[in-house]
Amino acid sequence: MKAKKLMALALAAVMTFSVTACGKGQDTTQTASQESGTQEAGTEAEEMKGSTEGKLTVAIWDSNQQPGIQEILDDWSAQSGIEAETQVITWNEYWTLLEAGASGGSLPDVFWMHSNQSQRYMENGLLLDLTDKIAASDKIDLNNYYEDIVGLYESEGKQYAIPKDIDTIALWYNKTMFDEAGVEYPNADWTWEDFYEAAKKLTKEDGSQWGYAINTGNNQDSYYNMIYDYGGYVISEDKKTSGYDDPRTIEAMQFVERMLREGLCPDLQTISENGCDVLFQSGKVAMITQGSWMVAGFRDNEYTHDNCDVAVLPMGADGTRVSIYNGLGWAAAANGKNTEAAWSLIEYLGSKEAQLKQAELGVTMSAYKGTSDAWVNSVDCFDLKGHLDMLDATLVIRPYSRNTNVWEDMATETFKSAWTGEMSMEEACKQIAESMNTALAEE
Amino acid sequence: MMSMATQKKRKMTPREKSEFFWGWLFILPTVIGLLILNIIPIFQTIWQSFFKTGDFGKGNIFIGMANYQKLMQDKAVWQALWNTVKYAIVEVPFSIVIALVLAVFLNRKMRGRSAYRTIFFLPMVAAPAAIAMVWRWLYNSEFGLLNHLIGRKVNWISDPNLAIYSIAVIGIWSIIGYNMVLFLAGLQEVPRDYYEAAAIDGASGIHQFFHITVPLISPTIFFVAVTRVIGAFQVFDLIYMVMDKTNPALAKTQSLVYLFYRYSFTEGNKGYGSAIVVLLLAVIMCITVFQMTAQKKWVHYN
Repeated sequence: MKAKKLMALALAAVMTFSVTACGKGQDTTQTASQESGTQEAGTEAEEMKGSTEGKLTVAIWDSNQQPGIQEILDDWSAQSGIEAETQVITWNEYWTLLEAGASGGSLPDVFWMHSNQSQRYMENGLLLDLTDKIAASDKIDLNNYYEDIVGLYESEGKQYAIPKDIDTIALWYNKTMFDEAGVEYPNADWTWEDFYEAAKKLTKEDGSQWGYAINTGNNQDSYYNMIYDYGGYVISEDKKTSGYDDPRTIEAMQFVERMLREGLCPDLQTISENGCDVLFQSGKVAMITQGSWMVAGFRDNEYTHDNCDVAVLPMGADGTRVSIYNGLGWAAAANGKNTEAAWSLIEYLGSKEAQLKQAELGVTMSAYKGTSDAWVNSVDCFDLKGHLDMLDATLVIRPYSRNTNVWEDMATETFKSAWTGEMSMEEACKQIAESMNTALAEE
Repeated sequence: MMSMATQKKRKMTPREKSEFFWGWLFILPTVIGLLILNIIPIFQTIWQSFFKTGDFGKGNIFIGMANYQKLMQDKAVWQALWNTVKYAIVEVPFSIVIALVLAVFLNRKMRGRSAYRTIFFLPMVAAPAAIAMVWRWLYNSEFGLLNHLIGRKVNWISDPNLAIYSIAVIGIWSIIGYNMVLFLAGLQEVPRDYYEAAAIDGASGIHQFFHITVPLISPTIFFVAVTRVIGAFQVFDLIYMVMDKTNPALAKTQSLVYLFYRYSFTEGNKGYGSAIVVLLLAVIMCITVFQMTAQKKWVHYN
């Protein structure tokens, strides 16, 4: 008897649920058509949505940049009378959801594109073709942006995104720790060997402070720079072969290996549990190499605001200083409901006015040439020339291929055994090269 | 069977017709839901596992058993299966035993009984992602509360030999409340006279527990065991939220579903991801069939 009662109850519950669900659905559509601005009830933060009538959704992955970006979007709304709202989805989920949206035909109206993924999205016709629109526009001239970043979002002569920003990697350091250890602040003459010596002096035996924390989760702001400084490479020009087995690449990676073995870096366990930026922000490490996209985060953190500053990256033994750089693009969905509005927004975001504002607000360095001084002056607690001067170094675009994630993830996975010491760095590099060549052949 | 067949041949009375109609109407929402959300996707997944899937679900190429051949040689898959088994071996028995003991205690008349029941059930109401984030900080080796309390540095979630058990502890903690409620429902069914009779015969509390309580609620235990094993084999969110991609213990912790997620969604190889899920489906089916056969030995329905 009990079982029957339970069943009845469950059924009743299902019925009521479906009834209320229907009711709710009707409600939201009604309010949506009446007043497009104020419907929040049905909004689910976890989901990427296409536009509701008259409102554009703008998907990004960096919460540090969100306030500034929203401010720029509001400026556009004031001009165009169309509302636009940012949605922040963390990096990992971003691509999962974007891919699901692309397969299901419901992408956000406007979103960030990244070189790791752009090729696939462009080739499959998922991004709005901007070529003719740019030609007709009086606001956008592609010559105003850094060339390589424009090139990232071009496929078969067509342009699919307007450059948003440019990023460089620089050396962030903790002034207080340097003062305490009596070490001179990093300067433009430093080589990686000087960096190593300093890290040694800044490491405390009791494990309460380390000289350097390598970001094992992001190659662009860590070991890629060293690889190119040492004269190695990650992927060949034609994107067919891996450079991980190049002797100079291995040499650079062995430099990192040495720092880990000697305990100048926290072990992989500590880094992966906390993340190197958290360790830096909580005063556990003296130096990290980080991208310019972190400036807003470090500015808003009390500890880094008061204690830290930034300098150019050290150089290789022969004086090569490389900055692995990259830049995001603003793209729109090809099948969006309101591509006209989406283009108008992208056009605004690419305009000098908006790019300058992005720099002034300290969101990121802008892709528009000549706006970087505004960015340097946007923050008074750090000397951002460290990041800016990296633009004068040898610029190498972040290595990518058609399906970058596959071999990047594999490398991250394989390097783990090298970081922990189960495998020698040389062996790990050779193994990665082999798998990467297989992966590239399948692309 | 016979009687049903003869019944069918007979013409339906209007009442039976109406019952038939309403009966189907009532289960229709569930049936539609199951079909659209579960059954059709199962077959689509199996179908997809024979393809090398193209970008964004377009341009799939039929490759026969190639995904399965790759799967057989993929050490990561077998490691993930072993991780999943380890997780289930820890999570299922502990979550059942602890929940059963709690249910027996909370079935007696005592002060604040419903308050305790609510407290134990609370983790069930919280979002798994939120739970995982809280535990991640409790476990943190540098700043975590746990290490602070014991005064030693233990890498709870980044030591490859330990991490899977740390995750299982979170799993147990989040599920005991739910199991407990099911057991409480089962315990309500046990007539009080048995305990009175046993007490007169001089049986201790522990004796009563093993010889009256356990056999009489064995159907509930069986139900919980079957659903928990299935649930444990599908573990994903805890691992995904707690383990960072660069965590050195990840290879010894990732479950089959985690691996499926990685291949299907981060690497865009949906065909291979589907093959992994089909393997998981087969494993769960085998275990459930085994449980169904074994229950005859220990479950008492009357």
